[in-house]
Amino acid sequence: MIRDITIGQYYNGDSFLHKCDPRTKILMTFGLIVAIFLCKNFVSIGIMIFFTVLCVAFSSVPVKMYLKSLKPLLILILFTAVLNLLYSTGGDVVVQFWKIKITDKALFNALFIIIRIICLIVCSSVMTYTTTPTMLTDAIEKLLSPLNVLLKPFNMQVHTLAMMMTLALRFIPTLIEEIDKITNAQKARGAELDAGKFTDRIKALIPIIIPLFVSSFRRAYELAFAMDCRCYRGGEGRTRMKKMKFGFRDLIVTVLFCAAAAGIVVTNIKFGSVL
Amino acid sequence: MAKIAVRGLTYLYGQGTSTQIAAVKNCSFDIEEGELVGIIGHTGSGKSTLIQHFNALLKPTEGQILLDGEDIWKSKQSVRNSRFKVGLCFQYPEYQLFEETVFKDVSFGPRNMGLSEKEIEERVRQAMTHVGLDESYFNKSPFDLSGGEKRRVAIAGVMAMDPDVLVLDEPTAGLDPRGRDTVFSMIRNYRNKTGKTVVIVSHSMEDVARIATKVLVMNHGEIAMFDTVDNIFSKGNELIEMGLNVPQITKVFMRLKEMGYNVNSSVYSVEQAKNEILRLRGDIG
Repeated sequence: MIRDITIGQYYNGDSFLHKCDPRTKILMTFGLIVAIFLCKNFVSIGIMIFFTVLCVAFSSVPVKMYLKSLKPLLILILFTAVLNLLYSTGGDVVVQFWKIKITDKALFNALFIIIRIICLIVCSSVMTYTTTPTMLTDAIEKLLSPLNVLLKPFNMQVHTLAMMMTLALRFIPTLIEEIDKITNAQKARGAELDAGKFTDRIKALIPIIIPLFVSSFRRAYELAFAMDCRCYRGGEGRTRMKKMKFGFRDLIVTVLFCAAAAGIVVTNIKFGSVL
Repeated sequence: MAKIAVRGLTYLYGQGTSTQIAAVKNCSFDIEEGELVGIIGHTGSGKSTLIQHFNALLKPTEGQILLDGEDIWKSKQSVRNSRFKVGLCFQYPEYQLFEETVFKDVSFGPRNMGLSEKEIEERVRQAMTHVGLDESYFNKSPFDLSGGEKRRVAIAGVMAMDPDVLVLDEPTAGLDPRGRDTVFSMIRNYRNKTGKTVVIVSHSMEDVARIATKVLVMNHGEIAMFDTVDNIFSKGNELIEMGLNVPQITKVFMRLKEMGYNVNSSVYSVEQAKNEILRLRGDIG
């Protein structure tokens, strides 16, 4: 099941968006998330959909990958849509059976929430598919670097937090592999993981969790020593091999985003709200 | 009847995706009762995948595994039985230790079998004797032991299920020569005492040559050879081509043969080498 979650996965490629500055991508993604919830009518949401499709096209990641990232959230999407359909108030009644009244507003609400969530997931997937986790955390470090002033009294640095994030992400696949190995080893000793009462199942996890903890600590020590051996001393005075640069691609992305955002705001005012 | 019979076994990783790889291709062989089979092959040759079929941890993509003549995937019960009949001990088994005391950890397997407390204790005692650890270890924490001791406790954890077939994946990986010797003499003792079937996976020819009765050589997911130790080592050149190392002493004799001496190049132990040289001297002199 852990393997099914594709959010946060990188898709190797060499597209226009892959080559963009990760900082641009992070800021644009946040911008898009705000923009998605600003859309109030069919024209503005149309612009949003168009922009999302554009992003997908420029990422040169197969559409199949995006569908895969939507799949685990399908139930959530449907659930929110149904809730919206049933509990929205106001508007004219379109369908009525027994005690349930469905208004046109409710229909629009449900439709918009579906589109919004899908856009949201697809947009953030575009970012994670086209940016390696390392690049992402580097970018976050750069973007949050003004916070260093605030963290100084606590003897902390944004770099430390970013490094922690990078390491955590780096070890996810390793730990999944480890879980697989330990599970198989305990199964070979007759452990039953998928049978019995709920409490039995929880208990059955102990033989897996404890070795996993032990080996995580071991790995952490080893890694800390390895970093020490390579003279790691935190972020101060540390230079980068690959410098992030705001290039012409980022300019194009920013201009397009601003145009879309402006379009959404203008059409919102011009055509009013259907919600 | 063969203890374990493998029939046309094929296993694909990532079936149906772009990264589909056949880890094991159309393998068929028999392991007879009481044998000590060494499985060798270079890294990624499919050894570990193959043995995980023996106790139904992996389901064959194609083919069958027969345990005592019965398909292990026949029913849920037969799958579970195979877990206890075939005791599989993974690489670096010390990383699976989890209990507070050695006794509790070794008893994990027998407890899962649903045995009575008395039987469990009996099994644990026996297994600990097999691995050469005395009662003073019972109440120690497994995490306080040395690397070699942890390894032995973990192996005891599998032996305690009293399986018909003991399968060990690289039991000496990462141990120093002394630890290796201990593990090997332990396995030899276990076999002498119980007469059970043992399968050892290794990439070291030297190790396998020391104890195996038969050797299965895997190459790119296929069975390259399955024969007695002597016959395998007489094909030293083929083994080297497959990226496997033959024992040093075998290399010496292969070279001697190349130089024109009339020697048997399937020598793999110092004892055999001595006899061979004495014979040669007799020939010459």
